[in-house]
Amino acid sequence: MKRLIALFVLSAAPALAQDTSPAQLIATYEAEAGRAADPAAGAAFFMADHTGGKPETPSCTSCHTRDPRSPGQARTGKVIEPLAPSVNPVRLTETKEVEKWLGRNCDSVLGRDCTAAEKADIVAWLASL
Amino acid sequence: MSPRTSLSPFPLVPVWDVWVRLFHWALVLCIGGAALTGFLADARWAAVHLACGLGAAALVIARIIWGLYGTAHARFADFLPRPAALVAHLRGTDGRHRGHNPLGALMVLAMFAAILALAFSGLAILGGWLRLGPLAADLGTEAGRAARAAHEAVALVVLAMIALHVGGVVVESRRESENLTRAMLTGLKQVRPGDASPAEATPKGRRALVVLAGLAATIALAVAALSARPAPNLPVAEIDPLVAAECGACHMAYHPSLLPARSWKQLMAGLDDHFGENAWVDAGDAAEIEAWLTAHSAETVDTAPARIFARTDPEAPATLTEAPAWKRLHGDLPDALFDRAPIFSRANCAACHADAATGRFSPFAISIPKETAE
Repeated sequence: MKRLIALFVLSAAPALAQDTSPAQLIATYEAEAGRAADPAAGAAFFMADHTGGKPETPSCTSCHTRDPRSPGQARTGKVIEPLAPSVNPVRLTETKEVEKWLGRNCDSVLGRDCTAAEKADIVAWLASL
Repeated sequence: MSPRTSLSPFPLVPVWDVWVRLFHWALVLCIGGAALTGFLADARWAAVHLACGLGAAALVIARIIWGLYGTAHARFADFLPRPAALVAHLRGTDGRHRGHNPLGALMVLAMFAAILALAFSGLAILGGWLRLGPLAADLGTEAGRAARAAHEAVALVVLAMIALHVGGVVVESRRESENLTRAMLTGLKQVRPGDASPAEATPKGRRALVVLAGLAATIALAVAALSARPAPNLPVAEIDPLVAAECGACHMAYHPSLLPARSWKQLMAGLDDHFGENAWVDAGDAAEIEAWLTAHSAETVDTAPARIFARTDPEAPATLTEAPAWKRLHGDLPDALFDRAPIFSRANCAACHADAATGRFSPFAISIPKETAE
C-alpha cells in the first residue's frame, strides 16, 4: 500500500525537465546581480514581514512556514511540499518552475518582482538547509 | 374452538396472516424512514432515503403478488371495492367486514399506487438530476427537475393519506369497539353475527414465491441492463494534464463543467490577481488551459451542478462559492466549519465531496470530515 501511494505521488507530480540545479541557479542570479549570494540575507528576507503585496500574504512564511524543510500550506488548505532541496530534491531543478513561482509569490508578498540579488540570496539559503 | 378474550363475548379468528402483518409494519418503517430523511434530513441521508423508498416499493410489489395467491383476507378478491359496496358502507347499511372494509380497501389501492409513483419518480430524479441509475441514459436535468416536483407533490399526498388512514383506524376502532391496531399485530379479529362471509381461499405460498422470485430477477436484470447504458452529456472524465498540474498546484483542480465558458475566460484574464494572489502562467500555457476549460464548460454537459452553478453571481462570475445555488445549499453550515482543519476553506470542495474532482457532486459522496489538529 505504501509503495502504491509513493508511486501515485510520484506519478502525480508534474514531469519536471530538471534543466538546472541549485548551484547553477545561484551562479546565474549572482552573475545577474553582480555580487555573491548571501544565505543569511536570504533567511532574513524569507522570514520578514513585507508591505506592498497582497494583504493575505505579508511574508513567505504565510504559506511556507518558518521552516522550509517542513511542508507548508496554501490559503486553500492545500499542502505545499517542502522548499529545501535537502528534503525535496525536485526543488530548484527547473528554471521555468522557479521563475514562475518567484514571479507569482514575490508579487503576492512584495507587490513587485524580486531582484536577482534577492533571488540569489533565497536560493542560496534554501540550498544550504 | 376459538379463543375468547375476557372482555369480549365474541370469539377471535385469524384474519391477517403473518405476511400481511409483516408487510404492513415493514412498510410503516420504510415509509417512516423515507419521510424523515426526505422531508427533514440533509443530502447526506440520500442513500438511506433511497434504500427506504426502494424497500417500500419492493414491499408493495410483494404484497400485490400475495393479493393474488395469499390467504382469504389478503386477496384482492376479498376487498376490491365495488361501487355499490362503497355506497352501502358509507350509509352504514352493509354488514361488518372482517377484512378490509370498502373505504379501507380504497386506501390500500391508493397507497400502493402512490408508493409506486414515488418509487418511479424517485428513480427519475436519480436518473435525470443525479444522472445515475437505470434512467440516467434517458433523462436529463430538465426531466429530473420535473420528477422532483412530482415526487414532492406525491410525497405530500402520501402524508395526507397516512393521516386519513390513522384517522380511519381510530374511528373504525371506536365504532366497532375493536382495537384494529392490535388486530394488525396479532392478526386476530372478532367473529360477530352478521359478518360478511369471506370467500374461501387456499393460500398458494409456493406459487407466490415463484412469481415473486421471477419478478425480482426480471427487475434486477432490467435495472442492470438499463444502468449499463452510457449516459450522454456527462462531464469529461479525464482532466487535461496541464490543467491538473497548473490549477491543481494551489487548490483542487475545479472541474470545467462547474462554470460557464464566459466565467472561465474572465478567470483566465485575471490570473495576476487570482482570489488575492498572483497566479500568472505563461501565455502559451494560459491559452492551452483556457481552450480546454471552455471546451468542457458547463454549457457542454447536463448535470445538476452545471445547471445550478451556471447561474453565477454577476459581481463574481468566476467565484463558485458566491453563486446563489452554492450559498443556498451550504447556507445552514456554520462559518467555523469551513475554517477548521482539515477543510480550511470554502473553496476546498473535495474535503467533504469525495467526487468533487469529477464535477458530479453526488449526495451519496458527501461526508463532512471530523476536525483534525492543524
